[in-house]
Amino acid sequence: MQARLNGGRLRRLLLIVFGLAVVLVLLAPLTATDQADSLGLPQLVDRSQIRILTTVAMFVVMASGWNLVGGLTGYGSFGNVAFFGLGAYTCAVAVDVHRLHLPMGAGIALAPLVPALFAALVGLPLLRLRGHYFAIATLGTAVAVGEVVKNVDYLGGATGLFPPILHRADLLFLYLMVGAAMLAVIVSGLILRSRFGYGLIAIRENEEAASVIGVNTTAYKVGAFAVAAALTGLAGGIFAVWNSFINQDLGFSLDFNIQMILMAVLGGAGTLFGPVLGVIVLEFLLQNLAGRGDVAVYAQIGLGLLLAVTVIFVPRGIVDFFGGASRLSLAHLRRALRETGA
Amino acid sequence: MQLFLQQVVLGLLIGGIYVAVALGFSLVWGILNIVNLAHGALVIAGAYLTWLLFAHAHVDPFLSLPIVAVALFAFGYALQRVLINRVIRAPLFFTLLLTFGVNLMIVNALLVLFKSDFRSVTPSYSGSGFGVAGVQVPYVRLAALGVAAALAAAVGWLLNRTRTGSAIQAVAADRDAARLVGVDLRHVYALTFAVAAACAGVAGGLISTIQAITPTAGEPYTLQAFVVVVLGGLGRVGATVVGGLVFGLVETLGQTMVPGLGAGWANAIAFALLVVVLVVRPQGLMGRRP
Repeated sequence: MQARLNGGRLRRLLLIVFGLAVVLVLLAPLTATDQADSLGLPQLVDRSQIRILTTVAMFVVMASGWNLVGGLTGYGSFGNVAFFGLGAYTCAVAVDVHRLHLPMGAGIALAPLVPALFAALVGLPLLRLRGHYFAIATLGTAVAVGEVVKNVDYLGGATGLFPPILHRADLLFLYLMVGAAMLAVIVSGLILRSRFGYGLIAIRENEEAASVIGVNTTAYKVGAFAVAAALTGLAGGIFAVWNSFINQDLGFSLDFNIQMILMAVLGGAGTLFGPVLGVIVLEFLLQNLAGRGDVAVYAQIGLGLLLAVTVIFVPRGIVDFFGGASRLSLAHLRRALRETGA
Repeated sequence: MQLFLQQVVLGLLIGGIYVAVALGFSLVWGILNIVNLAHGALVIAGAYLTWLLFAHAHVDPFLSLPIVAVALFAFGYALQRVLINRVIRAPLFFTLLLTFGVNLMIVNALLVLFKSDFRSVTPSYSGSGFGVAGVQVPYVRLAALGVAAALAAAVGWLLNRTRTGSAIQAVAADRDAARLVGVDLRHVYALTFAVAAACAGVAGGLISTIQAITPTAGEPYTLQAFVVVVLGGLGRVGATVVGGLVFGLVETLGQTMVPGLGAGWANAIAFALLVVVLVVRPQGLMGRRP
């Protein structure tokens, strides 16, 4: 009983510390504005750091979206980048001067719709497949959609599309992306606690059994797929106007595709904050390891090694450190200390 | 008509390369139930070994294939024994994650060793060929197809005609039953992966003769191996051969023969085909129902 209380208190403390850190990190970029400058506040972050924060928020959206399908429902999608690309292209076409020429807000609002519709359409046949076959079918879909987009002139062909550049809008895009990230986490949290979420978990654990006890498996799976698509598409839409350039390589990047999965699994698939943690850790590693010339290749080797070590020793993700069953977790450490101390 | 024949020949020739690349991938997937994301990296490692032997010791690329196969066999055995065996019973995504990590390590080790310059293996006969009824056949590609066929036959023989092959197939059918009758699981896993790595190395050797290589050139081959295995069906050598040849044909014919489509559509066609096959016939063109 005592130990349980302690566990709860520790977890709450950790959550508060984590929340405070997030708030601080989110407020710090405000010191980069002219107003802060005129008040004489020191500038705490520079433009490249704002860019990294925006990227982190973007991957939080994508990893959380993937987590709904791959983590919660147990359908390991390998093609979620298709939704990112479709969202990005939807937004880019919407705001393009020579195409729909809508305001930016409308473009971003439209961005989740097309991927969600697409997911509902292709989800019906694709979600009948399982395991490796589902993984590869989704990967094939992503590559095929990307290739088609590259060959359609209305979508800019191989050159891509150039949404108008907004000057000095770093902070606007940072907070847009952070808003999307919060939306993704909140939506995931609501789903996790709902009848819908329990249905998805039931499908993951045993699809036949779930269907027998009255879960409409097709509707649930397609629903989760569409929600993930809408979230990922939203991130894509914001990315298109933020980057003010989108082409097939960027929109349907296989790097993004793999990264969002890695982040979700590294952090802890099927949990609420696992993907967020995974994004922070992996993005931190990538940013610090990747950009240093000659060291970069050695760093990549280190990253590969880290992945291997994680998979072998912390198989349920980093989130397992906090109160999980891993031998490296805080809970295990506490138990061990108590046993030796008493 | 002549153009059509030429494209059919080119498609089959490139299909041979796809067969060689996909053989090992299919073996690891079918027997160990691992989708090996490092497969393309192993292919390129084989290509670099071939280049090394060619550039520094002037060994003909086709003669160095056995050396490459042995080297990759040893590497594959060690890799499986030390690393991948530890997560062999873990769910799908752990093995994916682990092989992705291995991929990163191999690709970047190659970058350290060889830099990112383009390398190519150009023996005196590369670029020449012969013509039959106006259809051009390059020697190198024809030889590559021949080697791929021999490789497929060798793997088929190993799996179906030897004691080791029986052990491998027994493990694929039922791990626990295989262990009960005295099969050393860890050894058989490692052996399977080693054979797959050797196949990948040979495929890499072939690839080094027909295209310039860089350490990062392997990723497309992992993807193509995926497609070939799914097209043909999992677990049988014959299915992989059919899958590779069909994939080569469809890719080549699709971009030259269908009006309105150009070279840019090759991948779109290939992957659309993949998705259709998966949805309509998940067991592949040649596979049995699971």
